Amino acid sequence: MNRRVLAVGLLLTLPLLGVLVAGLGRDMTVRSPLVGRPAPGFSLRPVGGGTPVGLAELRGQPAVVNFWATWCVPCYQEHGVLTRAARALEGRARFVGVVYEDAEENVQDFAREHGASYPSLVDPDGRTAIAYGIFGVPETYFLDANGTVVSKHIGPLDDERLAAELRKAGLRP
Amino acid sequence: MTSPARLAAFALAAVSLAGGAAAQQAAPAADARAVVGAPRGRPLAGAELDAVAHDVAAVLRCPVCQGLSVADSPTDLARNMKRQVGELLAQGYDREQVLAYFESSYGEFVRLQPPLRGVNWLVWVAPVLGLLAGGFIIARSLRRAPANAAGAEPAAVDEADDALAPYVLRVREMAYGWPGGDPPPPPGEGKA
Amino acid sequence: MTAALGRTLILLALLVSAAGAVVAFAVGRRPTVAGARWAERFAYAFAALMVAANVVMVYALLTHDFSVSYVAQVGSRSLPTWVTIVSLWSSLEGSILFWGLVLGAYVAGATWATHERHPEYAPWAIGTWLACGTFFAFLIAGPAQPFVTVPNPPADGPGPNPLLQNHILMAIHPPFLYLGYVGMTIPFGLASAALLSGRLGPDFLRALRTWLLLPWTFLTVAIVLGGWWAYEVLGWGGYWAWDPVENASFLPWLTATAALHSALLMERKGTLKGWTVTLVMATFLLTILGTFMTRSGVFNSVHSFTQSSIGPTILVFLTAALVWSVATLALRVDRLSAPAGGFEPKSREAMFLVNNLLFVLFTFTVLIGTVFPLIVEATRGVQMSVGRPYFDRMAVPIGVALLFLMGVGPALPWGRATGAEARRVLLPPLFGAAVANLIGLALGVRHPWTLVTIALAGYTAQVTLVEMVRPLRQRMRAQGERLTQALEVQVRQGRRRLAGYVVHGAVVVIITAIAVSSTLGHSREVQMSRGDKVELAGYTLTFLGAEPVAEPHRQSMVARVAVERGGKSLGVLTPAMNYYPNQREPVGTPAVRSSWREDLYLSMVNVDPGRQTLGLHAIVKPMVAWIWGATAVLGIASLGGLLPPRRRREEHGTVAAPAGRPAALPTSR
Repeated sequence: MNRRVLAVGLLLTLPLLGVLVAGLGRDMTVRSPLVGRPAPGFSLRPVGGGTPVGLAELRGQPAVVNFWATWCVPCYQEHGVLTRAARALEGRARFVGVVYEDAEENVQDFAREHGASYPSLVDPDGRTAIAYGIFGVPETYFLDANGTVVSKHIGPLDDERLAAELRKAGLRP
Repeated sequence: MTSPARLAAFALAAVSLAGGAAAQQAAPAADARAVVGAPRGRPLAGAELDAVAHDVAAVLRCPVCQGLSVADSPTDLARNMKRQVGELLAQGYDREQVLAYFESSYGEFVRLQPPLRGVNWLVWVAPVLGLLAGGFIIARSLRRAPANAAGAEPAAVDEADDALAPYVLRVREMAYGWPGGDPPPPPGEGKA
Repeated sequence: MTAALGRTLILLALLVSAAGAVVAFAVGRRPTVAGARWAERFAYAFAALMVAANVVMVYALLTHDFSVSYVAQVGSRSLPTWVTIVSLWSSLEGSILFWGLVLGAYVAGATWATHERHPEYAPWAIGTWLACGTFFAFLIAGPAQPFVTVPNPPADGPGPNPLLQNHILMAIHPPFLYLGYVGMTIPFGLASAALLSGRLGPDFLRALRTWLLLPWTFLTVAIVLGGWWAYEVLGWGGYWAWDPVENASFLPWLTATAALHSALLMERKGTLKGWTVTLVMATFLLTILGTFMTRSGVFNSVHSFTQSSIGPTILVFLTAALVWSVATLALRVDRLSAPAGGFEPKSREAMFLVNNLLFVLFTFTVLIGTVFPLIVEATRGVQMSVGRPYFDRMAVPIGVALLFLMGVGPALPWGRATGAEARRVLLPPLFGAAVANLIGLALGVRHPWTLVTIALAGYTAQVTLVEMVRPLRQRMRAQGERLTQALEVQVRQGRRRLAGYVVHGAVVVIITAIAVSSTLGHSREVQMSRGDKVELAGYTLTFLGAEPVAEPHRQSMVARVAVERGGKSLGVLTPAMNYYPNQREPVGTPAVRSSWREDLYLSMVNVDPGRQTLGLHAIVKPMVAWIWGATAVLGIASLGGLLPPRRRREEHGTVAAPAGRPAALPTSR
């Protein structure tokens, strides 16, 4: 038995196997570093014109910032959830949409066809998307009354999830 | 709405419009300033700006691609990021600040070259350690230069006559096909 | 019915390979002629069953039999026939089935080639091969079953991944890759046989070298073909991104190359047997690691197939293979040879050792860079990336060092060299280095690493040419032959040596071309309307127009760009954007105009056929075609060198020799 070969062999292979096993168990989704930090500032014009809506206007109550696009199927799925919630929670929580890599006309057509209860904002050159670390759509940020990011949800929202995240963001029942 | 209230509302609207417009244009600067502080370098322009922007984009990972850098990726997100890199550099932010700015939104994941923090140093040091270990192994395997330069000969030959040794070796190779002149072990030896 | 037939064949293959492995190992311990025959029969049966299963699958694909789950997954009636055949290996389950085919073919071939001439090694080797075959048959029969019966077969299927339908290279790259990758199982079996039987004689060494060189050739070509495919298809203008799956194919190549050189030294001097066997086994282990990296979903990559239970299964096999390798090495490596007495510092032997260590260092560096994100996530809980900038920075010095070694190694003589002798062989090639450097500077090279690379390339090229020509000159001088005669004799009898130097020459060209194409060149990105012209590096590009093109399996937007240089028209290039029915993002197809001097590479960024506008990314990259050309020369030379010399072929009919008796006189140096 060549002990040196055995030692070197074990030294090289055991850590490798350990790393691979650990890798199999990892969570594949990329986590956001913004959670727990003040939300990046923005002030964007709504689709179709009007006064710009900025982070400042969202202060004082929990806020939902939803990045979406008309070409994204899951965005369409969650649109009803968000629209209903925005109406029901008027005055208690602010909802705002940010358009990601889409044309204004598409958004206006979409709003005409499916309704909208909160403004969707135009994000020129994707600056706000970059500031918020957007990988794709839909992605939704939940802010508390002070403008701190409480959580980020990737993928379409349903009613329970939306309610749970808003509670975490300080929505009083 | 009463008259003063209407005036106030109008003033507020005017201010926020102007402020909004200013804020929109200044958005990158204001946002970046909040994240990485004041610009530490000098503003770049022209060909130098293009070159440095390309270099910085080459170490930023396109978040929606598989391993491509922002410089190489054709996706909209990457092109927007590349544009922002250029703008930040033009405003005088230095390279590390620009990288830190994107890292604050996307996480360490967005840097293609691991920064030196935590256990990251290992990936930079390990190859160097490997090189040193390899050098050490080589040094140990090398024969020290013999004192008598004329006496050394190929290890495989055990002939007493130095001058004939290479010829004996060659004959053995040609006749028996033994590279190095060593006879192979007889059959049966070494079996389990 | 077809699915059931396929499942049965795979199940039989599993049983046959498992039984065969047991039988073969038993025969290894207690050799009998009858037992050996049975081991061979099991090997051939395994091969036949795997071939049959693949034939059944191809038949199902061609007849669009959607009752077979894999066909329902990747088949489609609207595909060209070549895409249908190619979809055999386009998705995970099919690719593992294809792996089984290649493995079966290799096992059959290697069994046929070795059972007569190496009867004392063959059963051990067959046992190892069939053990590996058992694992893959198990994978196909279980987690990666492509022959599941679909109860309500759909009328049509979605077709394979659109990225794979874009280019004909998709038909060539995977078979070459599998011929290389899977083929490494054979030398693994031979090395295991050597360890298990406790000897590694010169005759068996030749078999090991041959069965290492054959897959190595395919793997080399496959890696470069992969780069070419990335270049022609992905549209970012590069050919290597240090993607985890690219690394997965590169890692075994590195250790295989080291093993080949180590085996050369082993043949000449009988030393480094332990190193060689270890490197061969490491190569196989890296192929299993590579397949884990590609299929487990643990590493994000362009290539990755989706996550499934395959990952843990492969990891179990990898663990078993690692245990096997470490155990056999620790227990048996000492029996192979006595420890070497030490190498002379200024000798070719020492250069082989340095070569081994550089390749191992390279392997280690790429490996640690690839798995490092996993390590960090496990320790710091943070997700981070190790990407191209890191690997480029590490690879360039090592590559340059290897280039230097390719020059110094063959220049130095075997055995001890005095200082004067060393100077006599090491200094003249500096002339080649200087010439190359002057040419480089004249052509506008300024980047320091590129200049160093070009200088070393000149050095190594001179050494390679001198060594290639040396036996010719010796013959011409000693026997008065003419050049053509000497060349003919060399090709007939000294083929291996000639091939080796041609391969080295090709590698020098490839490294130089990589260095030059990476650091020189021009690029521009511009928005154009119809009729606009743009200038780049002497080319004038005119956007002629864009129109949609409809094909049965996709819609394309094709732009026509006229290319002129110096007033002369060079034709029209057509970069395109392809839209596939089940994908949101289109796949861009760049248009490349290659010449020996440079490539003009046009990639479509965005296009609006309504407004006739085009966003064009134009790149001019020098010397890219040299990479593909030199690789072709490398492949041909390497395969040519594998053919046995004519004298040896006449001896092929000898009876099975007892162990230790050499087969024939060695060929001339």
